[in-house]
Amino acid sequence: MPGRYHIHTKVVPNRFPAITRSGVIAWEEGCLKCARCVKKDCVYKVYEKRGLDTRQMLDSLDSMCKDCFRCVQNCPNRLIHKGINPVYRALGDSYWTPEIISSLWFQAETGRIPVSGGGYGGPFSGKGFDAMWTDMSEIVRPTRDGIHGREYISTTVDIGRKLMALEFAPDGGLISQIPPLIEIPLPIMFDILPWSPPDDKIIKAFLHGARSLGTFVCIEESYLQHDMEEFLSHIILLIEGIPHHRDKGFFQMLRMVEIPDSGETKALQEWLKEINSELIVMVKLPLSAEAPERVFQLATDGVEVIHLVADEYGMEWGGNPFFIADRMKDIHLFLVEKGIRDQVTLIGGGGIAMAEHMAKLIICGADAVTIDIPLLVAMECRVCRRCKEGIPCPVELEGIDPLWGAMRITNLIGGWHNQLLEILGAVGMREVRRLRGEMGRSMFFEELEQEFFATMGNSR
Amino acid sequence: MAQQKKGPVFAIFFCQQLDARQDINRRCLEKEFGSHIRFFPIPCSGRIEPLHLLKAIESGADMAYLLTCGEGDCRYGEGNIRAKKRVNYAQGLIEEIGLERKRIVLISKKIDAPVSIDILVREAIAGNDMLPIQWNGHNLQVDD
Repeated sequence: MPGRYHIHTKVVPNRFPAITRSGVIAWEEGCLKCARCVKKDCVYKVYEKRGLDTRQMLDSLDSMCKDCFRCVQNCPNRLIHKGINPVYRALGDSYWTPEIISSLWFQAETGRIPVSGGGYGGPFSGKGFDAMWTDMSEIVRPTRDGIHGREYISTTVDIGRKLMALEFAPDGGLISQIPPLIEIPLPIMFDILPWSPPDDKIIKAFLHGARSLGTFVCIEESYLQHDMEEFLSHIILLIEGIPHHRDKGFFQMLRMVEIPDSGETKALQEWLKEINSELIVMVKLPLSAEAPERVFQLATDGVEVIHLVADEYGMEWGGNPFFIADRMKDIHLFLVEKGIRDQVTLIGGGGIAMAEHMAKLIICGADAVTIDIPLLVAMECRVCRRCKEGIPCPVELEGIDPLWGAMRITNLIGGWHNQLLEILGAVGMREVRRLRGEMGRSMFFEELEQEFFATMGNSR
Repeated sequence: MAQQKKGPVFAIFFCQQLDARQDINRRCLEKEFGSHIRFFPIPCSGRIEPLHLLKAIESGADMAYLLTCGEGDCRYGEGNIRAKKRVNYAQGLIEEIGLERKRIVLISKKIDAPVSIDILVREAIAGNDMLPIQWNGHNLQVDD
């Protein structure tokens, strides 16, 4: 039996103090000089260990405070308050919310699943991935001794084209040509960033992280540098056309290549396969209303892997855009109806911000997912997008140590991997391959609402 | 990279109540001034300590501004009144070491209508006539 896949995590401290949801406002004026100040009674000693980060003018009070409100409640002259931190409120946007960003920071720092212990206080449905729920009714079964217990839950996925049946000659020899297949130990690959500060060191952090996790990083051909060649077995090289300046031996060292969907797709795939028949060629297809037909066409043309990409908010392109999960469902079910779903690998990317999004997209029909912005957030990005406007990055991402970045990424993916195991355990599955398209293990808010209110004459 | 102005370095501390869209509105100044301007939003101007203002100057700022809401507008009651006292105290401290008091500036803004932080800051620094601080005959390093 092969060894269990396990991601080793360790605490990797932040470079900058974390931005917290609330800030302490403690006034000295009006102090009654009590014999025993409530600040002395802080169980976390935040007032005694107080310090100031002069780069960001962030007071350690805020990052160390655990919001127990003991000092706020006990100060007899009400001189201590807690207020919402404006810097926290300004993090990200309506999709990449401050809560998501701070949760990703926590996971990248500790490698642990973010558990508040206070229960879930948010709404039960919303837009995008929040409009679907996973059905965890099997939670008692495979998880009885935990996610790392006796019953191994596999997160391995296959990337490549699969044969539906093997053909044998009368003498018993195999006639079918077995297409190349790559197994990755978790259904996550790293995509090209939609925006970032100057990214040499960032890409190197991705490469080190991908190598330690056993997965792949997508890199544009023009970005590839000599010192990245040691990582070739973990690179998906994005090429726009035939790169004449590269010798053919170079392509024999690669395992995966990505090409954009265009009129040249078939010719480019054939050219690459001629050089290296073991190479897996992935076609990048922006999601749109035409995607199901186009995916079907590509799959019947022999494409092995299709990378379906949405924008950073998970929305497809074109008028009246669908959310990635809804379009992925359409594509998956269309291929099932045509009887070719199992032949091709579908990878979805764009708008994946949390571990649950990965599981939900797989339930909607993706074999694996690609992520981008969460990797930057793991390295303390605030999703302010100042780099897009040419303003210096407030957390100096361009100057990170790639090994520090790789460890943060490893921690983040370690947290996501554990959450995936929790979900698989709770829905009663022992491998993520079986979760693909398993919509019976989920509930969709719109469908439930329609079903429920239809009897009341509501056609919403 | 954004074109950056030369001249004094500004540290801007400001109360979050002034502008709910501060993170967006301040970007044009960040782009224009580059590393010559640093913004530090705070939950309440009463949160400011003399140490913050002194550390800003120690870390390379030539001017430290504190923008507060007007008296009577503070959502914590007396935050801006307390901030005023602390600014006075910090001004006294820098005077003792031979710097001009007006390198630390308090600006109170009565909130009658929504204000944009970039307009407030432009107004504030437009009136500045202070040159960069000469520390032992040398200016502090700034990324130009």
